[in-house]
Amino acid sequence: MTSQTLQKVDHSALKTNQLIIISLNILAFVLNLPILAAVVALTMGLGSLVGKPGFGVVYTRLLKPRGWMKSDVLDDNPEPHRFAQFVGFLFMTVGSAALFLGLALLGWTLVWIVVALAALNAFGGFCVGCAMYYWLVQLKVPGFVKQPPANTFPGMKPKAGAVA
Amino acid sequence: MNSEILLRFGFAVVIIFFGVGAYWLINQYLLTRARASVNMLPAPLPKKPTIVYFTTPDCAPCKTVQRPALQKLADLLGEKLHVIEIDASEHPDVARTWGVMSVPTTFLLDEKGTAKYVNNGVVRLEKLMEQVKTL
Repeated sequence: MTSQTLQKVDHSALKTNQLIIISLNILAFVLNLPILAAVVALTMGLGSLVGKPGFGVVYTRLLKPRGWMKSDVLDDNPEPHRFAQFVGFLFMTVGSAALFLGLALLGWTLVWIVVALAALNAFGGFCVGCAMYYWLVQLKVPGFVKQPPANTFPGMKPKAGAVA
Repeated sequence: MNSEILLRFGFAVVIIFFGVGAYWLINQYLLTRARASVNMLPAPLPKKPTIVYFTTPDCAPCKTVQRPALQKLADLLGEKLHVIEIDASEHPDVARTWGVMSVPTTFLLDEKGTAKYVNNGVVRLEKLMEQVKTL
C-alpha cells in the first residue's frame, strides 16, 4: 500500500443512502411500481454526477440536524463509494428499462441485486462496488488510482483510526 | 390488486429471509472452520472462556481501539477470561485456516474451546462483554 492522503468520509450519509435505496426498491417491488425503481435509478445517477450519495440529502438536511442519526466520519477514499453508486445506478437503469419493456424477471432481478449489495454494505460493512474499484486499481485501469486505507480489506469499511 | 401486493410482499419476505440466512451461514462456516482449527493455536486453551484475537504490528485500529478494549475486558473479568493474541503476519497459516480476512478479528470460544462468535473488524467493549456473558 502506498502513502496517500485519505479524506474524511461520513459513513452515516452512505448508510442512509443505502437504507433508502433498499426501502424504496423493496416498496417498488411489493407495489409493482417500476416508476419508483426508475426514481431510485435517477437519484443514484444524479448523486454519481455531483459526487455525493444520491439520498444523502435526507441525512444532511433531516436526520443529522435533528440528532436522529450520528455522524460516523472515517478516514477513507470517497472515489470507490462514488464508483459503487455509479455501478448501482447502471444496474438500476438497466433494471428499470427492463421493467418498462415488460421484462419483469430481468428487471426485478437487477433491482434485487442492488438491494442485496446495498444491504451487504449497510449491515455487513462490505462495499462490493468499492472492492471492484480496488480490483481495477490492481489491474492498472486508467482513472483508478486509490489504494485501500491501511489494514483494511479492499471494500471493507475502514476502522476508526485507520491511516494511509 | 390487494392479493397481488400480498403475494409480492410474501416474495420479498422470502428473498430477505434467504439473504439473512446466507449471511448467517457464512458466519457459521467461519465458526465451523475456527472449531476445526483450535489445535493450530500457538498456545493450548485453558478451560475457561477465551478470546482469540488476530492482529498485526502495523494495524493502527488494533493498537488504538481493539487492544485497549480487550485489555479493559480482561481487567474487568480477571481470571474468568483468557485472551490469546495472534500476530497474523507471524502466523499466516493459522490466520488462513481460521478464515481471517482482515485485522482485527476476534473469535470468542467457550470453556470447551468451541467457537461461538466471530467479529470481523473492531468490536466495542460493550459488545464483547455481551458476548462473553453468554459463553
